[in-house]
Amino acid sequence: MKFSYSWLTEHLKTNANFEEIEKKLTSIGLEVDDIQDTGKLYQDFIVGQVLEEKKHPNADKLKLCKVDIGKEKVDVVCGAPNVEKGMKVVYAPVGSTIPVNQMKIKAAKIRGVESYGMMCSEYELGISNEHDGIIRLEEKETIGRSFSEIYGSNDIVIEIGITPNRQDCLGVKGIARDLASAGMGELLERKIFREKGRFNSPIKIEIQDNKICSAFAGRYFRNVKNTESPEWLKNKLKSIGLRPISALVDITNFVMYDENRPLHVYDADKIDGKIIVRAANDGERFLALDEKSYQLKNGMCVIADEKKVLGLGGIMGGESTGCSTETTNVLLESALFDEINTAKTGRNLSILSDARYRFERGIDPNSTLKGIDLATQLILEICGGECSEVELAGSIKENKNEVSTSSSYISRRLGFEVSDKELRSILSSLGIETNQKGDVIKCSIPSWRQDIHGEADISEEVIRIKGYENIPTSNIRLKSKINQNILNYAQKKLVKARHFIASIGYDELVTFSFTDSKNCEVFGDINKLKIVNPISEELNILRPNLLPNLLHAIKKNMNRNFDSFSIFEIGSQYRSTSPEDQLNIVCGIKSGIKTEKSWKNNQTEFDIYDVKQDVTSLIDHLMPGNKKISISNECPSWYHPGRSGSIIINNSVVAGYFGELHPRVASQFKIKNRTNIFELYLDKLPNTEKKTTNKPVLNLSEFQIVTRDFAFVIDKKVKGEEVVTSAFKVDKELIRNVEIFDLFEDDSLGNDKKSIAIKVTLQSNEKTLAENDISEISSKIIKSVEKSTSGTVRS
Amino acid sequence: MKDFRELENEIKKASDKFTNIESINEFRIKFLGKKGIISLEMKGLASLSGEQRKQHAEKLNKIKDSVLEIIASKTEELNSEELEKKLNSETLDITLSTSKSYGTIHPISQVIEEVITIFGDLDFFVAEGPEVETDYNNFTALNTSEHHPARQMHDTFYVETETDGMPNVLRTHTSPVQIRSMLKQKPPIRLIAPGKTFRCDNDQTHSPMFHQVEGLVIDQESNMSHLKGCLEIFLKTFFETDKLNMRFRPSHFPFTEPSAEVDIGYTKKGNQLIIGEGEDWLEILGCGMVHPNVLENVNINSDEYQGYAFGMGIERLAMLKYGISDLRTFFDSDLRWNKHYGFSPLNIPSIIGDLS
Repeated sequence: MKFSYSWLTEHLKTNANFEEIEKKLTSIGLEVDDIQDTGKLYQDFIVGQVLEEKKHPNADKLKLCKVDIGKEKVDVVCGAPNVEKGMKVVYAPVGSTIPVNQMKIKAAKIRGVESYGMMCSEYELGISNEHDGIIRLEEKETIGRSFSEIYGSNDIVIEIGITPNRQDCLGVKGIARDLASAGMGELLERKIFREKGRFNSPIKIEIQDNKICSAFAGRYFRNVKNTESPEWLKNKLKSIGLRPISALVDITNFVMYDENRPLHVYDADKIDGKIIVRAANDGERFLALDEKSYQLKNGMCVIADEKKVLGLGGIMGGESTGCSTETTNVLLESALFDEINTAKTGRNLSILSDARYRFERGIDPNSTLKGIDLATQLILEICGGECSEVELAGSIKENKNEVSTSSSYISRRLGFEVSDKELRSILSSLGIETNQKGDVIKCSIPSWRQDIHGEADISEEVIRIKGYENIPTSNIRLKSKINQNILNYAQKKLVKARHFIASIGYDELVTFSFTDSKNCEVFGDINKLKIVNPISEELNILRPNLLPNLLHAIKKNMNRNFDSFSIFEIGSQYRSTSPEDQLNIVCGIKSGIKTEKSWKNNQTEFDIYDVKQDVTSLIDHLMPGNKKISISNECPSWYHPGRSGSIIINNSVVAGYFGELHPRVASQFKIKNRTNIFELYLDKLPNTEKKTTNKPVLNLSEFQIVTRDFAFVIDKKVKGEEVVTSAFKVDKELIRNVEIFDLFEDDSLGNDKKSIAIKVTLQSNEKTLAENDISEISSKIIKSVEKSTSGTVRS
Repeated sequence: MKDFRELENEIKKASDKFTNIESINEFRIKFLGKKGIISLEMKGLASLSGEQRKQHAEKLNKIKDSVLEIIASKTEELNSEELEKKLNSETLDITLSTSKSYGTIHPISQVIEEVITIFGDLDFFVAEGPEVETDYNNFTALNTSEHHPARQMHDTFYVETETDGMPNVLRTHTSPVQIRSMLKQKPPIRLIAPGKTFRCDNDQTHSPMFHQVEGLVIDQESNMSHLKGCLEIFLKTFFETDKLNMRFRPSHFPFTEPSAEVDIGYTKKGNQLIIGEGEDWLEILGCGMVHPNVLENVNINSDEYQGYAFGMGIERLAMLKYGISDLRTFFDSDLRWNKHYGFSPLNIPSIIGDLS
């Protein structure tokens, strides 16, 4: 909401200076967003006159102008299509600053011709969005005069942000009233002459649906002249960025911004019969003042006559009854439209208008007739003619809210003592009448405050006027601790996983929860993941997996010359767009160069054993203690079928996967390197919340450790792990460790065979093992491995 | 009496020729071996008698000791020569290095962990909710009815699933976690809820996904002055400063009444923001007393219980504290950015380490 300081002081008698007002506005919740001192802003710009205008020798669209600026005549190159000889213009001299882009004007050669200064459009001066041509000033303006004297009358323009609850401050008067309540002066009541009217309105009004419009006041004016508005009115509107159009339109705009009362004027000669306020029929069409045609839906509020739709109630008038300079008879409307219906209609048709903005926030019912009176006075004064009596359909109900409260409630909520007396005095300054019985204070809420419904609202009014800076600060530390963990087990897992993975070399990324449905079919059912109104087609579904965005990230960074990637993300992926279908995942990728070729090392690349090591260490970190991790071959289809595995915990839970990205998926994401990934479903890790802080008992044997090596020739299909487990199970007490230390494949073994060598570590808790103990267990190991792998021991 | 001078000369002569450990060994065998000169002499003592044997024995033992001493000292000498040689041949160029091996923690995670650490110390626990929410939890239960103008300020993303006839949304703020938590748990409640939030807006200063942290305190007495106290401790601790100008000003959120926005003071030194002092204000968060309608919506008696709530943007906190200038870079996955602004994985915010 924009208003000028001079406009404000028409409603507020104050001794405060501008800085005090500015501070107070913010402190009562009318946050000052911007202040423009138009006097200062435009002081460098001066009135000039174009003396000559001819074509630029080197550019078709440019013109060379000689401009008289009073003390001298300057050459200006100008690109505006509307520049012509004799025109009075706003001239920006060398050294001045253009408000809209803060560009400083310099003398410059434009296509080879010297240009001194510039002629400005309204857009460049920040007056409006008009940038098709430069400003044409009136003939009578004196050459050399400062533009600030013509425009904005050396005023200060203030822009404040109005929160949705403060409908009462969408007019300058409301702002003045709130400032007066906060002690910044006295609210001045405009003297409005109440014109009775000289005849009955020939246009009758009928409300067919009083739920969508509870009251409609109309007044007929005849023999008006819809001229240009007087200077004071034009300047007022221009000062807040509105374009003056014609007196009738300007007057309705003025009343809206002054009194927060939207009005509308119809060309009465174009109305057929009576005015009917009704719900629209499905499919009805309407050409609005914004020159767009709208298809209406059942239930929208329309103002119609007996033949056609004239306007959308509370939102926008129509072309068919718009006022022009030829208009002589008009109907003035001041109505009360339903908030919710207005909001729905506006949203449905995507029409933003000042009227809609106000009606959907709620309008003071008492402004209905006041608005008519103020507008009547101005129309008669500016446009002449005579007016009818006011024709009122429906009824204006005041619906005064009553709220009961007490000073103890207010004090308890605000955290400091507010006395009955102080409470009542603050409320009274806001126009809230109070009546006390015992502790209970009954508040009668004025019609302009549509937002005060309960005691909590009263507490806000009190602290708003008293000042938020007066809220004391209290200690919130508790005397006794609440017995609740700050983070639960699942949340801690996330933090632990993040720090562990980063500590072994991965960089954490945070990518969008959306992704491109293209190339994502492999990861999930993209039809279940659609966003109805995506920000772009490349972000049109919720991600079924963390990989797509991470793969895009790799591709992007490859283009930035990175050739080694260790990245991870911890976040959610989705099975569908239902709230419960969200999973917590850690996804890591290692791709490209593991060690650079250097003075010390040969170049090596990441492979699946890197990510396998990382993800199993991560599980060890998250679940220390007893668990069994086994690996199975079955992996989702985005993994290379021969180079991937799933991780199974305690023979029951598939907790994640690791492996190489399927080459087809890699090529879809335009990645050439082998890409090694792991995914761990944090929610699926068995809960190992500690039952005791004690660690398991440690048994240390003092007897000698013996190691023995064995090699077996087995089928390539048989997994190395099979060799390890079948050796292990021979004697769980004596065998302390089994480790594969060599893998050998050669045609001499047969091309479907491989040799695997294991080192077995033996130790007894009771004695030093004798040679015959060792050979006995060795032959058992050989037997067991040969049996379960169908292999043979190499000798 | 036998003169051992010849023997002593021989020892001296031999001991001058030591070049390595082997020659010392030969020397030892020559004189002290089983058939060594001194050993044989010792054996010869048996044939002597009386005083002569005693004198010879004494003399021989002295010579033997001197041989042992020569062996010890020469061995030591040669060993240290050897070591010296080895050391001279083993120098490495210590200016060379191998590559570093730590990764980085994203600034969003860092800030969320800092926030949890600070509020954890004030007895808050961490609550969570899903990123896809019902319209009811995201708006209606938070006193924002279907046609409330505040809804339009939210630029909501919708999805195709529905709950109770209303399309589900990507949560526009972390506030629905308030609703979920209060339905699960009776007061007293002290929680924070960090997480992802979404709005259909994408430009220089808006990202369609961003992060917030919500705070909620419900009990029988928590009031506006506690809210002020709570935020003051938080902001001072977070920005690691003792001086912090803080300004509450009225605002409006449908789910709090009174509502406030909080600004903190700052000054600019060159390109650097100094948070805490100064005449200029930066908006940092929104807060207020929980609206009685919200409590009633989750079956908490608003005559008995009251409390406050607050919400702030994680990215904004990160940008102000760590001097990151562009919001959109957080999600851009430019590894140069991540390596520059990321944090060491071993510095976990905690009472035994630093906050940042």
